[in-house]
Amino acid sequence: MKANKIPVGPFHPLLEEAEYFELTVDGETVVDIDMEIGWMHRGHEYISEMKTFTQSIYLVERICGICSTSHPLACVHAIEDIDNIEIPLRARYIRSLVGELERIHSHLLWLGLAGHFIGYDTLWMWAWKYREPVLEMFEIISGNRNHYGMMRVGGVAKDVDPEKIVELQKHLDMIERKMIMISKIAKDDPVLRSRLKGVGVLSHEDAIAYCTTGPTSRASGVPGDVRFDEPTDAYDLVDFERIVLPNGDVYDKLVVRVLEIIESVKICRQCLDKLKTATGPILNNVKEISPGEGIGRYEAPRGEVFHYIRSDGTNRPIRHKVRAPSYVNIPSFKASCKGIPIADALITLASVDPCYCCTERSLKIIDNNHDPQKLDLLKLSREKTERIRREINAD
Amino acid sequence: MAEVERFLKDMGGKIHAKIEKKGRLYFNVDNADIREIAEYLFVKMGCRLSTATAMEMYHGIEVLYHFSHDKTGQYFCPRVVIKDKKNPKVNSITSIVEGAIWIEREMFDLWGIEFIGHPRMEELLTLHHPNPDLKHPLRFKEVA
Repeated sequence: MKANKIPVGPFHPLLEEAEYFELTVDGETVVDIDMEIGWMHRGHEYISEMKTFTQSIYLVERICGICSTSHPLACVHAIEDIDNIEIPLRARYIRSLVGELERIHSHLLWLGLAGHFIGYDTLWMWAWKYREPVLEMFEIISGNRNHYGMMRVGGVAKDVDPEKIVELQKHLDMIERKMIMISKIAKDDPVLRSRLKGVGVLSHEDAIAYCTTGPTSRASGVPGDVRFDEPTDAYDLVDFERIVLPNGDVYDKLVVRVLEIIESVKICRQCLDKLKTATGPILNNVKEISPGEGIGRYEAPRGEVFHYIRSDGTNRPIRHKVRAPSYVNIPSFKASCKGIPIADALITLASVDPCYCCTERSLKIIDNNHDPQKLDLLKLSREKTERIRREINAD
Repeated sequence: MAEVERFLKDMGGKIHAKIEKKGRLYFNVDNADIREIAEYLFVKMGCRLSTATAMEMYHGIEVLYHFSHDKTGQYFCPRVVIKDKKNPKVNSITSIVEGAIWIEREMFDLWGIEFIGHPRMEELLTLHHPNPDLKHPLRFKEVA
């Protein structure tokens, strides 16, 4: 049978960043995939070399609109690594609090979109509804729902108002109740389990070979998590579990994220408790950065964010390397997409959470021999869920 | 740290200009040795390649790999310095670390470093750039 090519992107509702995937299909089966990036290279690394260290933090905060704490946190870790700068205790708790809230809202965003892609629109609306109180917590802490401007070399820019801690805890209580409910749905729903179990498997060996990070690798049994491997901020002061599952399929990636949300709530609760009693400054005065090089990383919702900064002793970096987790997770599609039905391609591509947006999809069909309607990936994915639902209800 | 000591003991003859910090080991290696170093770190020690960084300095072009030993949080950073700026070439480690395919393409794209043995040595970020004359945009430009 002649293999056909299906292009996805570079602009597609699945992808917040413009990326291009070319699926080679033989009948209903994906036999190969090729990926291209570079559609919106914004030159952050080059611009950073023209900014001061403090300005670079603001710059990298705007790399990603969803995880706008992960990049600045990795950036300040890299600068602090050059001179081994110590962070005040109170600032360490605030950093971890903001980082974990970001993980909750990012995972909820993914959960909602994953639900939408497989025809679970109720899950989508619930996940996004309960993401809203998390954004309100950010507003209480920083004044902003996104781009919080919290990180500084040597600490944080804004303190958490002690009078607001009770209000934040109330928000957290509500979020925890709803997250337990959503985790039960995700783990116990028979249709969801049948739809996602065994789909888009990334084997343990491939996860290591492609150097994947975050929930993508932890769902394949690779335990790497920066919060445990190199604990910074308050991660060595709080108790939480490392979530690792063995199967590498989309279902395990979903469960890893859902369970991580509950662990993040636990971390936030401990940080808020400690902030009631941990007094002292939130920022150490750092006047200059010595010549040298530093590595900073942070466990973002999608995996390890890596920053490398080299200083010549002036107030600007002479080299600032940034590597986001999607950069190492996306090439693993070469392994996870081969052999899957076209109906599973969309959720498999989405399973590494390569940043979403809410724009309308634009799937271009170049194979004129097929009815375009039959190659609508979103429609195919939702139809497969509906088939499974009917079969389960019929039994 | 035991991992660092073992690495230095086994690979010490190939390591130059070592800088040791808390949780970080930066060192220079010859281009001829980078594959052996990468194999030791990735296969024998079980490190993960976080990424690699290219830099153009006055003394040459540097390629700095960042291998993370996740069990201990230790970073091993081998650095290859290419003196020939006009025709920079480094041995590719993609035959050992599949995860290096994109980052080596990116360094070829932005700095013009050719990775010998790479399966697909072509642009990664500027492949579809509207300006066809754009070549290696992060290299220093000669001032007229």
